[in-house]
Amino acid sequence: MRKLIVLIPLLFAHSALADINIFACEPEWAALSKELGGDHVTVYSATTGLQDPHYIQARPSLIAKARRADLLVCTGAELEIGWLPLLQQKSGNSAIQTGAAGYFMASDSVKLSDVPTVLDRSQGDVHAAGNPHIQTSPLNILNVAKSLTKRLQDVDSANAELYEQRWQDFNQRWQLAITKWQQQAAPLKGVSVVVQHNGWGYLFDWLGLNKVTTLEAKPGIPPTVDDLNNVLNKLKVTPAKMVINAAYQPSRPTDWLVSKTGINKATLPFTVGGDDQSTDLFSLFDDTIQRLLDANK
Amino acid sequence: MKRLKLTLLIAVVLAPASPLFAAQSDNSTPNSISDLKAEISQMRAEYEQRINQLEQRLADNESSTTQLNDTIKNTPPAAPAPIANTASSKNSFNPAISMVLNGGFNQYQNNPENYALDGFALQGEGELGKEGFSLGESELTLSANIDQSLYGQATVALHEHEGETEVEIEEAFIESLGLGNGVTARAGRFFAPIGYLNQRHAHAWNFADAPLIYRGLFGNQLSTDGLKLSYVLPTDQLIELGGTVGAGDSYPGGGDHNGIGDWLIYAKTGGDIGIESSWEASVSHWESNPENREYSGGHSHGAEEATSALFNGDTDISNISLVYKWAKNGNFRQQNFSLIGEYFMLNDNGNITHGDDEYANYDGKQYGGYVEGVYQFNPQWRSGLRYDWVGSDHKASDTELLADAGLDGNYNNPQRSSVMVEYLPSEFSRIRAQVNYDQSYSDDDLQLLLQYTVSLGAHGAHSY
Repeated sequence: MRKLIVLIPLLFAHSALADINIFACEPEWAALSKELGGDHVTVYSATTGLQDPHYIQARPSLIAKARRADLLVCTGAELEIGWLPLLQQKSGNSAIQTGAAGYFMASDSVKLSDVPTVLDRSQGDVHAAGNPHIQTSPLNILNVAKSLTKRLQDVDSANAELYEQRWQDFNQRWQLAITKWQQQAAPLKGVSVVVQHNGWGYLFDWLGLNKVTTLEAKPGIPPTVDDLNNVLNKLKVTPAKMVINAAYQPSRPTDWLVSKTGINKATLPFTVGGDDQSTDLFSLFDDTIQRLLDANK
Repeated sequence: MKRLKLTLLIAVVLAPASPLFAAQSDNSTPNSISDLKAEISQMRAEYEQRINQLEQRLADNESSTTQLNDTIKNTPPAAPAPIANTASSKNSFNPAISMVLNGGFNQYQNNPENYALDGFALQGEGELGKEGFSLGESELTLSANIDQSLYGQATVALHEHEGETEVEIEEAFIESLGLGNGVTARAGRFFAPIGYLNQRHAHAWNFADAPLIYRGLFGNQLSTDGLKLSYVLPTDQLIELGGTVGAGDSYPGGGDHNGIGDWLIYAKTGGDIGIESSWEASVSHWESNPENREYSGGHSHGAEEATSALFNGDTDISNISLVYKWAKNGNFRQQNFSLIGEYFMLNDNGNITHGDDEYANYDGKQYGGYVEGVYQFNPQWRSGLRYDWVGSDHKASDTELLADAGLDGNYNNPQRSSVMVEYLPSEFSRIRAQVNYDQSYSDDDLQLLLQYTVSLGAHGAHSY
């Protein structure tokens, strides 16, 4: 019994001694938290780059991680609506409740596009707040990084100065990288593409790609034969250079279109860990642009 | 920085130029000054061209940087959180509303009126669903944060029973919002945290009907009117401990209790195995001392008015449950597999009375479990198998009272096997076909259950 009493404070002490614990809902925010937090944060990513972040279950390991989190870094905009509220509820952790300092939603720092004018589930898996896949543009990531730095300083004020330094450093490296990516991606401007899932709006706006049509007629619903034929007809009128799908999604519709039209295919990582090359935020965009350029040949 | 880039660019541009120059001077031997002049002027022209190109590239570079700065400036900096509805209408704080609709078609080989579960007295919803077409349970759930410290949720179910619409409050509770340190408190009516399936609404089950043991012990589900407290330990592997105290009036409890009518403790643990697998295990124990638990499933004696046999005494139920889930790459959207198993054991110790004059000392055991495996082939198709069984052992000083209570039977270990296929047009709808081979009473029964279940309104939770 005495041993147990000695052990209990140790259990608690562990979380107190460690850096701040960040629970990131998606790998891109885990990577950004590492960039900005460095050694001062312990980051856990609830999902990998090969998982659809919408369809996660509030499984035991996530509850345990949420229990010890000082800061949630998630996308928001209803992307995690199926499981994040459950984690907040079941973890009994006051730090991560909605509105608390430990509740950070990246989409709050970005102006969301594709906000549906009609909210009706007959239109498929629509997101009421707008397109939540904000990590496809480095400009969004810059905005999120700025807000996240402030939040880290709030949550861990003792290290505020260090977070400021890391932000300055990241900001400089990221802006240089953006310049480089924009130069590399110059030939992609105005190139017509088809997408499998409508998740790339921010990337296309950034690089000036032109989306001709979408294989999934309704987001989140596998395309029907009719949908695919409509795509073929549309492509006869407006040919596209390539079809784009995300690594975490099955590529069947994309492969079908490739076999029908001989169009190039670009499987993009979508997020950090989406493929072997995308190990952090920088390599994510290096790889994304490289793959787009390869498919543009 | 810019200067560094310039030097770098010049180096890059000049690098290929120098060997060219070297090569030229080797191959042609300039004989006259005019030749040399011509060559020099040609070289100058070349270099000028190169420098022009260089300047152009530099300018481009600069303009793209300013362009970038402009884009960054123009993208809204840290926009405020999406504004809900600034024109504050009285509806803007409406709770999340969701409605689950259910309907189906059942076909049985035997007459469902004769349905019985050997060794169990069936209660309430424990009977078979209506044969032919029927409207299932329609469930309305409202939920919202009440204020900074409380969350509230209510589920009201409407269903038809013998031609009348019954309204049932399935759940109605308030719960602490981040009390902190892993502690959560709940008060009201809620599904008792016993086992795995009990805490899920029927529409979230993998099969159209409850496992036999749930049907036999609880009349499908055990709920508690009372308090619940849970504590999640600050460990890497989930360890949750908790308990409830309640009124003790819902079957297999019974009667009015001035104080605590039932209590329950549970422990739950679970975690991941790599990226693709996860598991959860739990043990739970419930105790009550039912007063006049009514066995409504009992038989009446001839012309005598049908009074129910009653149980008084002590009851406890223990449960162990195990859940294992797998998904390719941990991506549940595509293929996944779930394996769920549970086992229950009930002990009754007391007496059974019937009317004024019949009395028996009674010591009963009821037990059983189920194992189910469900595989999702792709986002729209799932299929599963279930095997469930029950058993009982009743000792009474007067066995006639067991018959009065409906606890009699051949005690030949009722069991059932089920297979189901589901088509899921979207996350919000499901069509299910299920076939049971039911060996839980005298004649084996083949049962066909067709069912649709849809969810309207607020997005449901992805519980584990």
